[in-house]
Amino acid sequence: MSVLDIAKGMGVTLGHLFKKPMTVQYPEQKAPVQARFRGRHHLLRHPDTGLEKCIGCSLCAAACPAYAIYVEAAENDPANPTSAGERYASIYEINMLRCIFCGLCEEACPTGAVVLGHEFELADFRYQDFVYGKEDMLVGVKGAKWQRREAAAKGKDVELGFTAPPRPELEGVDY
Amino acid sequence: MKVVVDGVTLDLPPGTSAIDAVFAAGSDVPYFCSQPYMSPIGACRMCLAKVGAPRKDRDGSWILDEETGEPKIFWFPNLMATCTTAVMDGMVVDTRSEPVKAAQNGMVEFTLINHPLDCPVCDKGGACELQDRAYEYGEGVSRFVFDKRHQEKHHALSDLITLDRERCIHCKRCVRYFEEVPGDEVLDFIERGGHTYIGTLEEGLPSNFTGNITDICPVGALLDATSRFRGRNWEYHHTETTSLDDASGSAIVVDGRTGRIERIKAGHHPEINKTWIDDGTRFGHEYADAPDRVRRPLVRHDGRLVETDWADAMDYVAARLTEVNGRDVGIAIRADATLEEGVAARALADHIGTGQLDHAPRPAGGVIAAGGQARLEELAVAGAILVVGDVTEEVPIVDLRIKDALRGVTPPSLFDHGAPIADLRLKERAPRHAEILTVAAPLRVDLMRHAGRAAQYPAGGERAFFHALTALAEGETPADGDLGMPLEAATAAVDGLRKAETAVVVLGGWVLASLQATEAALHFCRAVGAKPMLLGPMANSYGLELVGVAPSHARYAYGGMLTGAKALILSQLDPAIDPAVAERLDKLELLVVHASFLTATAKLADVVLPAAIGYEKDGTVVNLEGRMLPVRAAPVDAGESRDLTGFVKAFGEAAGQRLEGRSVKSARRWLKKGLGVDLDALPEHGGWAPAKRGPARVAVAVHEAPAHGGALRVPTMVRAEVLDRNPHLRAATGGLALGLHPDDAAALKLRSGDEVTVPVAGVPRRLVVRPSEAVPAGLATVPATPDEPVGLVPIDLKQIALERRALEVA
Repeated sequence: MSVLDIAKGMGVTLGHLFKKPMTVQYPEQKAPVQARFRGRHHLLRHPDTGLEKCIGCSLCAAACPAYAIYVEAAENDPANPTSAGERYASIYEINMLRCIFCGLCEEACPTGAVVLGHEFELADFRYQDFVYGKEDMLVGVKGAKWQRREAAAKGKDVELGFTAPPRPELEGVDY
Repeated sequence: MKVVVDGVTLDLPPGTSAIDAVFAAGSDVPYFCSQPYMSPIGACRMCLAKVGAPRKDRDGSWILDEETGEPKIFWFPNLMATCTTAVMDGMVVDTRSEPVKAAQNGMVEFTLINHPLDCPVCDKGGACELQDRAYEYGEGVSRFVFDKRHQEKHHALSDLITLDRERCIHCKRCVRYFEEVPGDEVLDFIERGGHTYIGTLEEGLPSNFTGNITDICPVGALLDATSRFRGRNWEYHHTETTSLDDASGSAIVVDGRTGRIERIKAGHHPEINKTWIDDGTRFGHEYADAPDRVRRPLVRHDGRLVETDWADAMDYVAARLTEVNGRDVGIAIRADATLEEGVAARALADHIGTGQLDHAPRPAGGVIAAGGQARLEELAVAGAILVVGDVTEEVPIVDLRIKDALRGVTPPSLFDHGAPIADLRLKERAPRHAEILTVAAPLRVDLMRHAGRAAQYPAGGERAFFHALTALAEGETPADGDLGMPLEAATAAVDGLRKAETAVVVLGGWVLASLQATEAALHFCRAVGAKPMLLGPMANSYGLELVGVAPSHARYAYGGMLTGAKALILSQLDPAIDPAVAERLDKLELLVVHASFLTATAKLADVVLPAAIGYEKDGTVVNLEGRMLPVRAAPVDAGESRDLTGFVKAFGEAAGQRLEGRSVKSARRWLKKGLGVDLDALPEHGGWAPAKRGPARVAVAVHEAPAHGGALRVPTMVRAEVLDRNPHLRAATGGLALGLHPDDAAALKLRSGDEVTVPVAGVPRRLVVRPSEAVPAGLATVPATPDEPVGLVPIDLKQIALERRALEVA
């Protein structure tokens, strides 16, 4: 290694000193995430009927390499169905501490019901608060559990700490 | 016979099917319609293979191949369904060539044409033969672009079975099953071609063995309604265990998920239940998870039962027991306790120093016949059978084995791959040898439909019936009326039993209820050289009698204990349903109840300890033929429930003693020493119990008054004591029935379906009126429970109280 090489290396460092920094002052500033970023799951509904897409088939749980998903199914009341068809998920839980956000559940889902969204601010205080149920993931719910808890306490809307390109498919995926 | 399958040469007995040859060679062909223990019919055309055989010339020598000089293989012009092809000497089977693959591929595609793609919501998904075969032999891509056939999606065939007609692939397994196995033809194909569907004529499936069709359905067309949508197949934890619902010792598989039992499927025991179980065993599991299950110990404080833990409760029990003379303590356990629990109960009795130890229900006649009893395998090949009782309800598997004997086909020998997939000796609509079967009972029972001779003797007349038969066997003329059938028929039955190579006399609970009747029956068996088969009332009646869970004196038996003892320890028994007994129990110095539910007795108890039920125990039971079978605990959340070994362990800890039988392991050490059986080394399919009995307590001599009364307590396939906690089974059976002759019901102004309360032997029973021609006039039938065992008892029909009228049918 010659002195010239060292100087070259230092030159790169010096060059960066005068560039615009990449650092985002999160959480004061909003972090941009990419469209395909894999964050907290959303459970989708059929756009036209509003029925849940999830049929409680447990294939996401079977695909999950981290055993983070627990599903219990039940039979739809034909007069007042929860999902299209005979079967729906009466319990759908994801343990966000276990989840590795690999997206295999999304791939396994035969109805396109579970989709990984953009939300990543999932840190919380108690173990049980990391187990997200249907009420925390059904489409339309904005924010993690703690964000909604704080927002409710303050009487404000949930404010997410990131910006992301719009994902209309989160409202209903064509498959 | 020499057979070559894909280059592997085998030597197989004649009569083997080609499909079994293929599997024996380690090759594989797909199949949907074949099913072990059922006739092969070649309906699904999946098992096609290229089959050829050498031919003999007119002079008897093989036609030789000119090039090789070997016998020339003449291939069949078309691919053959291997399940309906018998092996021939020198046969060659090829399952791997291109035309075979194309045919298998085409058949999968054809089968899938009308099969809906709703695997994600199908309960069979993950354990589906069609899914597996489509994966293994299918194309992977569908070429079918048209609309699939649409039919009814969830048709309730009965309260227990759901039929999805779109999913059906017309393999005919279920239809054949009903005709061939239980002989109840309740299902059939309706319509033809692509419109074919499975249906019943009457509503529901009137058979005790309907659930098996959910096991054998290769697709998700027939499904268990109790486990509908409960979990996916890969999520279940399978526990292979033995059913404790009756004395047959049927192999079952308990499927549990997240601490709950979701369903029960039939296990495979080739010598007991083959692959069939009855509906009571299959669907009667919901009570295990009933919301009113006792999950923690309860101790009475200031008149109220308060939750506590085992240590506390046992400290209390141990302390209170020191105040009572050991000899005044009674210990009784229910007869479905395991062998190990029996040892624990003995150890507890020895520690306390009491001879008042018993199991209940314990029939007066005992359940072990001196000189050995018939095995189920012998029953299945018997040349003459006499049944006294209602086996279809009492031990339903015995009913199925009797029907095996009627079919006259010996049980198949097993291959390495299990029972033959296609047993060519079995045929659809095979003739049955009804003439070998004689059925006797005080009322018309289901098995009589299949019997060559049926006898309806007067209720309580078992002893007289056998005396009459014995007289006939000894060449005398019996008293008229005792036989319940014409003299010629009885003579034919006795002759049949005497002449048959294997003759079996099946003795139901009504016989065993009386010592004298049992002795008369066994005497008759000796007279005609028949083997007796005694149907014990519960899963381990045999085993508990074997290890000697019995009183040291006749007056210390369970019945006497309830009046004589000053303190009682009762496991899973509920004598307080009888108000008179309840009054006495209330005055006891100490009543400890080990129970799964807050029964009438538990409500009177000083201490209630949560008891594990059959699915939650580890241990061993001995079935009615004397075979020791393993019981394994399913991973079920039953709170702090323990079995009796756990009870004794906790008691020993409180009393500062290490008692025998404080664990399954410790009990097994005792059994090894006492009976010489090593249960840790029990083979997979069980082993024979030793002839030697446990360190004997005295045999109980019962002075017996003849039974009398107007009500016959009858065995039921379902466990009557927990039927209310089994909602699906309750709906299917319509509740516990009070059987009356239609004239008697009309005289009482009762209609079918009326809910009534009626005192039966002093116990108020809530029953549903079911008038039936099967019941003789003047007799009422009520379901037996462990606390009210089978037999003739008084009933007070004058005190019948109508609780709810059945809806009037217009």
